[in-house]
Parts: sequence; C-alpha cells; structure tokens
Amino acid sequence: MKKRLLSVILVLTVCITMLAGCGKKETEETNNKAETKSETNQETKEPVDASKYEVKEPITIKWWHALEEQYSHVVEKVVNDFNSSQDLITVEAEYIGSYSDVNEALVAAHAAGTGLPGVVVANTPYVAEYGASGLTEDLTPYIEAAGMDMNDFGLGLVNATSYEGKQVSVPFLISTQVMYYNVDMAKELGVTIPAKIDDMDEFLKSVSKFNADGTTDVYGTIIPGWDQWYFETFYLNKGVNIINEDGISTDLDSETAVEVANMIKGWCDNGYAYWATGQDASSIMRQNFIDKKAFSVLHTSSLYNTYVDKCDFEVGMAWYPGDKTNNSEVGGCVLLVPSKNDQDVKNASFKFLEYLVSEEVNMTWATDTGYMPTRKSVLETEEAQKFLAEKPAFQAIFDNLDLINPRIQHKAWSQLAEIWKSYMAETIIEKMDVKEQMGNMAEEINEVLEDQ
Amino acid sequence: MDADVIKQKPNKIKKRTYFTYAISSAKDFTCVLPALVLLAIFTYYPIVEVIRISFTDWNLINDSYKYVGFKNWEWLFAGSGTKYLLNSLKITALYSLGEIAITLGGGLLFALLFNQITKTFSVLRAVVFMPRYVAMSSAAVVFLWILNTDNGILNYFLGTLGLGKVDWLGNKSTALISVLILTGWRAIGYGMMIYLSAMLSIPKDYYEAAALDGANSFKRFWKITIPMLSPTTLFLLVTTFISSMKVFQSVDILTDGGPYRSTEVIVFMIYKYAMQDFRMDRASVVAVFFFIILLIVTALTMKVSKKSVNYDS
Repeated sequence: MKKRLLSVILVLTVCITMLAGCGKKETEETNNKAETKSETNQETKEPVDASKYEVKEPITIKWWHALEEQYSHVVEKVVNDFNSSQDLITVEAEYIGSYSDVNEALVAAHAAGTGLPGVVVANTPYVAEYGASGLTEDLTPYIEAAGMDMNDFGLGLVNATSYEGKQVSVPFLISTQVMYYNVDMAKELGVTIPAKIDDMDEFLKSVSKFNADGTTDVYGTIIPGWDQWYFETFYLNKGVNIINEDGISTDLDSETAVEVANMIKGWCDNGYAYWATGQDASSIMRQNFIDKKAFSVLHTSSLYNTYVDKCDFEVGMAWYPGDKTNNSEVGGCVLLVPSKNDQDVKNASFKFLEYLVSEEVNMTWATDTGYMPTRKSVLETEEAQKFLAEKPAFQAIFDNLDLINPRIQHKAWSQLAEIWKSYMAETIIEKMDVKEQMGNMAEEINEVLEDQ
Repeated sequence: MDADVIKQKPNKIKKRTYFTYAISSAKDFTCVLPALVLLAIFTYYPIVEVIRISFTDWNLINDSYKYVGFKNWEWLFAGSGTKYLLNSLKITALYSLGEIAITLGGGLLFALLFNQITKTFSVLRAVVFMPRYVAMSSAAVVFLWILNTDNGILNYFLGTLGLGKVDWLGNKSTALISVLILTGWRAIGYGMMIYLSAMLSIPKDYYEAAALDGANSFKRFWKITIPMLSPTTLFLLVTTFISSMKVFQSVDILTDGGPYRSTEVIVFMIYKYAMQDFRMDRASVVAVFFFIILLIVTALTMKVSKKSVNYDS
C-alpha cells in the first residue's frame, strides 16, 4: 500500500511538472518565448535589491478572501499562526463573498484608489484582465528578492498566474471540474461513469428514474448553469474554440458547438439532467444530491469534503467524459497584491502571501479544504501520503493531473461568460431553437470581443 | 435748501432700498450656499460627469480612457445594446405598473378596510405597515427562502392545496411576479397609511349631505372619497413611480436580473455594465438615456396632474 502511494505521489510530481504541456501548442510556444525573454532579462538585469522589499515598521494589512463559513477555522488558524510567527505584520482576514463579489469590490477600490486590501484572492480567469489593466503588482522582483522557487508550482500553474511574462499573481487554492456520483447507487445499478461524451445519453438514461406521471424522480446529473466553467469543458473537449486565435471571434456558433448545446438540451428535455440556475442554484443542486434526488452532480473538486460530510452514502469522484481531448480546466483562486497600495503595504502583503503559499501551509489548505496541493515539494512529504490515504477519491484527479489546463485568458472573458450563461439557460429552460440562439449569441460575443 | 433736501430724499430712500435689498439677498444666498454647493457637488457634477463618460471608452479597471464620440450611443441605439435596452425598459415599465397598482390599489383597499379608530384596527394597521421598516436586503433574503422551489414555504402551502411546485425565481414568467410580491409586502402598508390620513381629513359634512340626497355608499365613495383623495393619489403616483424606477436591491438579491435577463430592470442593467462588466462607458450612456426618459415622464405627470387633480378641501 505504501509503495502504491509512493508511486502515485511520484506520478503526481511528474504530472504537475508537465502541467505546462497540457495547453495548446501556441500556449507552449508563448511560454517558451516568455521563458527565453525572462532568461535574457535575467542575464542583463541587475540583481534585485532585497532591502527594498523588507518590512521595517509594524503594519496592519487586510486579506480579502472568498472562503466560506465552513473554512473559517482554517482561515483563522493560518492567520493567527502568521501573526504570532513575527512581530511586524498583523493580518486581518475579511470574507468578502463569492469570487464575483471579490472582483467587484476589488475593481471598485482600485478605481477609487482607496480601501484596497494588502492581499486578495481572485478567481483564475481574472488574471489576464487584472494583469492587462495594471491592477496587480508585478510580483517578479519580490519573488526574486525572497528567493521563492516558482518552479516548485509547475509551469502550468505559473502560466495560469502570469501575464505577458510577469508574475502578477501566485497559485493559491487550486481545483478542477469533476463529476461527483453516488457510489451506492452506481453499485446497485451496475454502472460506471462513461469515458466518452457520446456515451452520456445512454448512461444518463440508465441512471435516471421517473415518476408515474413522467416527471423526474432521480436526475442522472445536475449541470451548474450558474457558471459556464462547469459546462465549457464539454465544448472544449469536442474541439470548439471558445475564443479563436484572432482573439476577436468565437466558434460557439459552429456546427460542433451547436451539436454540444443540442446534446445538453436533449438531456434536460428528456428529464435526465437538471439545469441549475438562479441565486440559490448551488444549494439546490447540493441538496438534491444529498437527498439522493440526483445520481450525480458536476461540481468543483474543492467541495469534496463538504459532499462527504453531508452525504450518508459513499461519494465517488469521476473525471468528466471526454471526446477529442479529455482535458479539464484549472479552477479555484490565485493571490495577488493590488498595485495602488503603498510600498510598505506591498512589502508586508508579499510576506503574508509568501506564507500563505509556503510548503508548510500548502498542505494545511489541501487537508482542511477540498483544494489540491499546489507545490511539487509538498507532494513528497508524509502529509501528502496521508492526504491521499484519507481522500482516495482524489485518485480520479491525480490520474489525470496532466490534463488540467490553464483557463482561457482574455480581457473580455467575464462579459463573454455572462452572455454564454444567459443564452444557455434561456435556450434550455424556454426550449428554444439551439442553432438560432447560438448564432445570435456568437454575434453578440464577437461584438464584445472586438470592442476591447 | 429745503427744496433740495426734499428733492434728494426719494433718491436716498431709493438707494437705501437697493442697498438693503442687495444685503438681504446676499444674506439669503449665503444661507442657501452650503446646500447649493452640496447639490452641485453631489448631484449636478455627477450628471455632467456621466454625460462626459458616455462619450469615452472608460473601463473601470483601467485608469486611462479616450473620447470615442458617439460610439456608445451607436451601441445603444443601433448595436447589441438596443435589444437589452428595450428589454430593460419593458421590464421596468411592467415592474413600475405592478408597484403602482399594488401601492395605490392595495393601499386604498386596506385604508378602506381599516378606516376605523379602534384598538383592533390600530393593531391591524401596524401589522400591515410594519414590513416597511424591515430592511430590503433582509426581507429579500427571507423571501429567497419563502420562494425556494424545493424547500420554500409558499410551495409547501401550494402543495397542501394539491397544486404543483412553482419555480418562482427560476422561471421567466414568475420571476418578476416574485419580485413584485416582495415589493407589495413592503409597500402596501405605506399606501394604506397615506390614504388613511387623507381619508380622515375629508369633512364628514360632505358624506352627510350626500346621504341626505340619497347617495348610496358606492356613490359616496366614487363621488366624494376618490376626488378628495386625488392630491394624495398624485403624490403616491409620483413617489411610487420614482421609487419603482430606482428598484435594484430586491432584483439583485432575489434574481440577479435573471433568469436570462427577465428581471433586468434598467438600474440593474446600469449596475451590471458598470460593476460586473466594468464598462463605465456603456453604463453611462444607459444612465443618461434613462435620466432623459425620467425627466420627460415626470414633466408629463406634473402637467397632467394640474388639469385633473382636485385641491379643494
């Protein structure tokens, strides 16, 4: 057993290192260019004066986060440990709300130039938008001054947190999309989660249950319609370019994209799947799964602990079915320092940020939340072995770590996502013509992409 | 000499009057100056700024911007913005009609029901009026649970009556109604109180004279109460109209403008462009257009009211 665990850890280590290779070819090329550029810069650049980034006076900084109530004990412990570990910096943690709430609050504070936090979390797709606008501090010199080893994160995560070769953020709590399922039900029905998207129809039909009046008693799955991150993987794995290489157009009206949308709509029309949308959609989805009203749900791997704690049946975690590719996308959040802060605040903030992503704290986050360890060195520790032993369902992720891609980065991504979610919900719930809707949607998205 | 004095007197008086008038005006102006300064800073300056921003490409996340002429106006009237503007105008108008109907119609109905000065009715009036003092944010969160499809108390009661579950907030046809249910719960007591106070001030003699002339209760209500309440009705109409145009919090908490923009009232549309997409340019152009519409509608209301409202008492 120990040998097996060790081998898993070794595979994991190799996979994280390979995360960069999971992206598209052009991403790889860009990375190489960035690396070469960075190397060239390093050759010619003067060494960073570390004294510029030192904290000399006592200071209090704020940390804005999106970790909900169930994680409050971890937040409290980590912040207290940091505060008591040194005398100069006092951190005050503030729960702001969801990632979009944090985004709104951060941009408003940035525009006003006051009330900015020292350190803040940001959902992974915001990195490009923040980097392009200069909202984030370029952390490269701080990292150099502190001697922080960014290679320990794996190139994929480093890319997901950089903008044009600048390290504008640092990987923090990382997750990916998975399908949670009721293992007891699966055993009873003798089914396994399909590996191919095209087999989903039959699979969902076999696990769904219907009442005498034709209404659904148990849904095959629930699709979170409130966040396109959960369904965009189906499109990507079918080969749809959500943003084309030109950066100003989408392929979401292509034949393949229409086919995927039709397929999802078909699941919902037949009562096999439930499209969860609206303000309380997430809690409704969770409750349905806990109440055995759904065989499976598509959700983030970070909620593994929550599902296991709440369900009175064995919870399985499966990789999404694939097609041309079998990829998933990195989720969760990064840490950044707003650029409009004073230098003293920035220096203190970086010290705290460094602590939050340090090896010793990295494993605390992974163990006490459902997020994955992000440092390669951490995976070689005893705690990491224990983590795998305690959460065997994570095997589904560890087996596919090299397939986790960085998110699509575009300045207009959040606008695109809003339009996409709205059209998908309307098409499915109002049973509208998919082709026509996707055409109208693509037109609107193209207009948004062009107008940047 | 005397004649000169006599001749000079009126001029002196005249000069003194102008001087006194100027001093008095300056004093008056000094008194209103702080209010004017605040008004200029917090009302007129933002209006000018919003108009200016509507001609730029300012994204809230960027510090710099450039002037783009009528590009945003083109987007609003001849681009993808038109569809959403028309949608929001329609929803805002429907919401406004709903809120006016509930506040005025419901308020009048409750005022007629509770138009008696007894302890029981006082308690009942307090019960109906109390929701007005519950913060909209708190009320909206409670209604989020009342209207929950699977665990909401409203669907539970419908179930006991043998009716099926309604996806109140997730369905296009019921989402706006759900927002109006919350609005009605808070606004109806306010309408009732305003109408009640107006009803109590109608002289009893009118009703006694009408009764002597043989008018039945409906006729007395129609011919006396309604005309006598017209200034109150106008007041409620204008204030409710303005407040309904500004609706935001209930929509934000209950539906977030959804499902698929079916509750996206115009203020929420502005907020969405400004604070979710950070497109201050687009948000500003919608805001300016909305400001013009409100200005026209308010002016028309005031003009119509002069002709049809009875201020005699």
